Amino acid sequence: MSTPLLELQGLSVRYGSVQALQGINLAVHQGELVTLLGSNGAGKSTTLRAISALVPAAEGQILWRGGSLARVPAHRLLKLGIGHCPEGRRVLSRQSVAENLMLGAYLRRDRAGITADLERCYGLFPRLAERRSQLAGALSGGEQQMLAIARALMGRPELLLLDEPSLGLAPKLVGEVMRALAQLHREGLTLLLVEQNAQAALEIANRGYVLEAGQLTLQGPARELLANPSLRAAYLGG
Amino acid sequence: MIEALLQLLLNGAASGGVYALVALGYTLVFSVLGVINFAQGALFSIGGYLTYLLMGGRIGVNGALPGWGLPGGLPFALALLLAAAGSGLISLLVERVAFAPLRRRGAEPLLALITSLGAGVVLVNLLQLLMGAEGYAFPHGADALAGLPDVLVIGGARIRTIQVLLLLISAAAVLALSLWLERSKGGRALRAVAEDATTAQLLGINSAAMVRLAFFLSGALAGLGGGLIGVSVSLPGPYFGIGYGLKGLAVLVLGGLGSVPGAIAGGLLMGLAEALVPSDASGWRDALAFAILFVVLLLRPSGLLGRRTVEKV
Repeated sequence: MSTPLLELQGLSVRYGSVQALQGINLAVHQGELVTLLGSNGAGKSTTLRAISALVPAAEGQILWRGGSLARVPAHRLLKLGIGHCPEGRRVLSRQSVAENLMLGAYLRRDRAGITADLERCYGLFPRLAERRSQLAGALSGGEQQMLAIARALMGRPELLLLDEPSLGLAPKLVGEVMRALAQLHREGLTLLLVEQNAQAALEIANRGYVLEAGQLTLQGPARELLANPSLRAAYLGG
Repeated sequence: MIEALLQLLLNGAASGGVYALVALGYTLVFSVLGVINFAQGALFSIGGYLTYLLMGGRIGVNGALPGWGLPGGLPFALALLLAAAGSGLISLLVERVAFAPLRRRGAEPLLALITSLGAGVVLVNLLQLLMGAEGYAFPHGADALAGLPDVLVIGGARIRTIQVLLLLISAAAVLALSLWLERSKGGRALRAVAEDATTAQLLGINSAAMVRLAFFLSGALAGLGGGLIGVSVSLPGPYFGIGYGLKGLAVLVLGGLGSVPGAIAGGLLMGLAEALVPSDASGWRDALAFAILFVVLLLRPSGLLGRRTVEKV
C-alpha cells in the first residue's frame, strides 16, 4: 500500500498527569474520508489538536507524507496542506462573513483562484452568499458552522481536519453539512472527520475508528462499523 | 472671541492627537494580549530623546557622555521617523523581556502589568543615566518647521505652527493605522489574532509574529508622540513620558478598552477639555482629565465606545 497522507504512530498526549491519548495508530490515505468516532472526552479533539501542533505529543509521531511533523509549528501546517476546522466553529465574530473567508485564504497570493474559490464556497453554502457582508457573530449556529468549513476550504487544504461539525445543529442542518462534506470528498478532498454523531458520519465515510478513553477500540470500513453490534449499542442507539 | 475659541480648539486637538497616539499604542497590545503594557510611557520618553539626538542635540553635563552628540543632524521629519522606529524596536525588546517569558510559562497574564512596569522603570532610569535628569530644548526647534513661520494665523486665530504640524502628523498616523487595521490583509490578520489566536494559527497566521508586530507599532506610536511633544514643548526630563503614558491610559479607559475609534475619540475629548482650562489654572488640568474619566466611567462603565463585556456564565 502507498504511503498514507497522514499517519499517527503510537501517538500519546498528556495533560499534566491525565493521559488523554494512549498509543494511537491511525492512517488517512489520499482521497479518503475517515471518521474518528467516540463519546465526549474520549480524546477525539485532542487527536486533531495534536496533529495541528496545538498540543504536544508525549510519545509517538505524526507523519505527513511519510515525514515527521514534530518540529512544525501550528501556523505552518496549512502551508503543508493540512487544514483544521476547529471545534465550536471559532468564527471571528467581529469580522464579516467575507472577511472570515478571506482570512481562510491568508497564505494564498493567487487572486483569481481566491475569487473562484469564494464563489465555490458560496455555491456550496448559499446562505453564506446571502450574508456575506454581515458580521460572523450575527450568524446562527448552523451558518457559523458552514462559515467555519468554508473558511477552512479557502486555504485549499489537501487534508481537512473537521472537529464535530454537527455539534449543536438541528437534524436538518446536520444533513445539509454532511451532504456538503460528501460532495467535497467526491471532488477529491481528503477528510478526517471527528464526530459524536456516528450514524451521520459513517454514512458518508470510507473508514472509521472508534476512540474510547484515549485508546482506539474499533476500526474498519464504514459499512462494517455501521453493522457492528457493539458499536450500534454504544453509539447508534441500538 | 471666535478667534480665541478656535485657538483653544486647535491647541486642544493637537494635544488630543498625541493622547490618541499613546492610547492607540495601548489598544494594539491590549487587543492581542489582553493586558496593558506599562512600559508605554517610557517609550514615549525614549522617542523624545531619540528625536533630540537624531536632530543633532548634544548630551548635557549630567549625562554619561557630556557634550557628545551625533555628527551633523537629521531634518526633523527623518529624525522623527527614525526615533519612532527606534522606540518600536525597544518595544520589541520589552516584549521579549517582560511579556514573552511569562507567556511561555503560561503565567497569569496580569503579571505582565508588573513586569512591563518594571521594564518601563529600567528604561527611564537608563535614559537618565545616559542623558542626565536635566531638561533639554531642541537644538534647532524652529528648524523643524522647514522654513515655515513660527506662528500661523488661521481664521484670525494665532497658533504655533508646530502645534498644527503636531495635529496633522498625529492625525495622519492615527488614520493610517486605523485604515491598515480595517482594510489590509495584515490588519485583518492582526484583528484575527486579537480575537482568537489559536484559530488564527490554524489559518496560517503566525500569531507570535503578529504579537511582535503589535508591540513594534505600539512602541513606534509612543515614540512618535514623544518626538512631537519634545519638539513642540521641550524635554523636561526622562520621566516626562510617564505622565503622557498615564494620560494615555486614562484616554484608553475613557474611550473603551480595546476600541480603536474609542482611543481616538477619547484622546480628542481629553485634549479639548484640557485646552478649556484657563492657563492661570493650568495646575487643574490633570485633575480635570481624571474627573472626566471618573464621570464617564460612572455613566458608562465600558467607556465611551467600548464593547460591553459579556460575562460568561
